[in-house]
Amino acid sequence: MKGFRSQGGDAVAELDDEERLVVARIVADVALLLGADAFGEGYDEPAPASDSDDPFEYLRGFEDSIREPSDPAILRLLPNAAPTDREIADEFRRLTDGELRATKTRRLRRIWDQLSSGSNGGGADDWVVPADEALATAAALTDVRLVLASRLGLVTDDDAERLHVEIDLAAHALDGDDETALPVDHERVWLGMLYQALTWLQESLVEFMVEASEETDV
Amino acid sequence: MDTQRDVEREGAVATALDDPWVTIVWNDPVNLMSYVTHVFQSYFGLARAVAEQRMREVHEHGRSVLSSGPREKMEADVQAMHSYGLWATLQRSGE
Repeated sequence: MKGFRSQGGDAVAELDDEERLVVARIVADVALLLGADAFGEGYDEPAPASDSDDPFEYLRGFEDSIREPSDPAILRLLPNAAPTDREIADEFRRLTDGELRATKTRRLRRIWDQLSSGSNGGGADDWVVPADEALATAAALTDVRLVLASRLGLVTDDDAERLHVEIDLAAHALDGDDETALPVDHERVWLGMLYQALTWLQESLVEFMVEASEETDV
Repeated sequence: MDTQRDVEREGAVATALDDPWVTIVWNDPVNLMSYVTHVFQSYFGLARAVAEQRMREVHEHGRSVLSSGPREKMEADVQAMHSYGLWATLQRSGE
């Protein structure tokens, strides 16, 4: 994996086939959490806004209050906008929930498309993000990292720091034949390594945006 | 860490300007400092140095008031922050 760098005005990263697959899958998983249809083979055009025969379906969101998500990962994507005022929080969720889910899903979908197509303009391993889509891509990477962080139980800055140490120790334990090493939770280590890789990838994308904005400032 | 007083001071400024609501962005362990700064710059149109200062406030004091104004505007600001994966809340100024 190579982080994003500027190439002909676009942000271009390099991911091998396996890395593309892993990122595409986690992006699709997060979209599923948001209530989107599964991203998958044979998908061509976005489905029509509604397959339902109910002409008032789109109005339902305006009638019912939408409940706060019970999954902490989804709650992190769609957080409480007024923790001390239930009425304001409910009103905000009622007004924004659908649009936020749609925006987030659209951005995730775009990444999935870019990583699933054989080539999107560059070399075989290139992940090409046009400059004007960089912020939307960085936002989608944030959403994926928020979900992973929630699953990993990262609540404080210290938790995030400890994850690095934990992954290093696990990598060490997996490398060696040290029988006294602590047992390794493989799933947790895998999620942790994915989290770190996406953090690094996002960092490089933000760096690209900062450099691009500095150039236009001059 | 005297975050409460900071928030109250921000709130007082907002009240003086007759803006009844504020948007607050909260710290979290996931968002990158560079990303938060960039979002503040591009969404709120802040100069880089100001955006960086607000980001540091969030990171070091746990939160920062990013905007103030009528409730509808604050709802739009909070929604935008949520779309970028930042945790933002709105409340009446001075609360």
